Order: sequence, then structure tokens, then C-alpha cells
Amino acid sequence: MVPEMGYLDEQFNQLEELQDESSPNFVEEVVALFLKDSPRLLSNIEQTIGKYPQDFYRLDSLVHQLKGSGSSIGAVRMKNECSVFKAHCNDRNLEGCRRSLQKMKREHATLKQKLESYFQLLRQVGPREHAVNSRK
Amino acid sequence: MELKAKGFTSIKALLVEDIEVCRLVLSTFLLRLHCEVTLAMNGKEAVDLFLEGKKFDIVLFDKDMPVMTGPEAIVKIRAMGETDVKMVGVSADDHAMEAFMSVGADLFVPKPMRMEALGPIIQEVINKKKNDMV
Repeated sequence: MVPEMGYLDEQFNQLEELQDESSPNFVEEVVALFLKDSPRLLSNIEQTIGKYPQDFYRLDSLVHQLKGSGSSIGAVRMKNECSVFKAHCNDRNLEGCRRSLQKMKREHATLKQKLESYFQLLRQVGPREHAVNSRK
Repeated sequence: MELKAKGFTSIKALLVEDIEVCRLVLSTFLLRLHCEVTLAMNGKEAVDLFLEGKKFDIVLFDKDMPVMTGPEAIVKIRAMGETDVKMVGVSADDHAMEAFMSVGADLFVPKPMRMEALGPIIQEVINKKKNDMV
């Protein structure tokens, strides 16, 4: 499962604890929102890196948004790479930013794949009470 | 935008946050704690709500937002004489605590915020409100 493979931290568990009868798909909705927003942010970061003169202020602002939304779903690897990127911005190290962006894109792609598989599996398993009843 | 937990309207909370994912998560935390939640996308929207005469028991501010930051908004809101409302700074930024506390925030909580951290804060606001009513 995704949380055990180091891609998500305890924050993801917090989201699962918020899920109840009134919000049965809460976690999937939050993740869907993240997966809708994050490609746009990554694309904006890539475009901004390609511009001259370099705008490290804008880059920092964009990656700050990505870090914030990623940490809200517990995406620990994405969050950590965003911190690395921010450090490169602070040092005005464009090459460092480029390398970090490539890592962020890879982490994002992997995370997206794992989350989509995770929710697909949950849908196949069905609600917990059904799984318990089937053993009786 | 106002969100209300069914049957519970004891605490009026204003959440000032530009990132949509963070808004969804934090507003859900607040609703679970039976708060009546109003959302603002940046510091200026928060200031405008106070200028319109809206009242809140607690305001949670992100730090870095477009148009107006959280600390900037706190300065303006406190300058309006809003000294009773609990102002909480929330940020993943390492230097955010000083930025918030130096301008009159009551509290700083690092992001991502946990329910275990928010629960006691809301309870304290509830207790204060009950005491003020007596």
C-alpha cells in the first residue's frame, strides 16, 4: 500500500480519519484536487525556469504552492524535493533548480500512479463493512 | 464562502488560505470541530470581511498569499481594534513563526496542521466565549 512505501506520511492518515458517512470519498476528493493542481504548477515551474532573466522569486512562489498542497495530502517525497528546490532558488542555482524539477516530476508521476492504483483497489474491495460481512 | 457543520454553529472561524488543497483540508478539520467556516483566498479578502463588519472568533492565516500576506492582514485587522479575535498563523515556512508573532498573532502552528493541534485551540476559544457570555 502507498503509505507503507514512503511516498506518504502521517498526514495521509489524518485525511483518512476525516472520512466518514457524511464525506465517504473525502480522501479521494482531496487527492483528485492535488492531482488536478500539481501538473499545472509543475508546468509553470518548467516554463519559468526556461525564461531569461531568471525569476527566482516566482520560482520560489510556485514551488511554495506545490509544497503546500503536497504536504496537505502527506506527499512526503514531493514535499522534501520542493524544499531542495527552494534551497536552490535561495542560492540562485538554476542548474540545481533544473535537476530538482526533474526529480519532482518523476516523484509526481510515481505518486500519481500509486495513488490511482490505491483508490482503484479500494473501489474493488468495497466499503469495510461489506468485507467483514463476507467472512461470516 | 461560508460552510456550516450541521447543528453546530458555536465558533465562527475564518480560514485565509490561497492554496485550494490546503483550504479543503483545513476547512474540513474546522467543520469536524463544529465551527462555522468562512473562506478567504488572501489577506485582503480577510481584511475586507472585517471592514464589512463581519465578526469571527478565530482566524487562521496562511503566511504567503497573493495580494496581501497573512502577517500584513493581521497588522491591518488589529489596527481596526479587533484585539479579541484569536489570530493563528499557519505555515510550512521555517521563519514564519517570528513573522506572525511580531505582528500580533496569538499563536503559530506549523503546516501541515494536525487535528490534535487544532482541537485544543478551538476548545480554548469555546471556553473563552462561554466565559465572556457569563
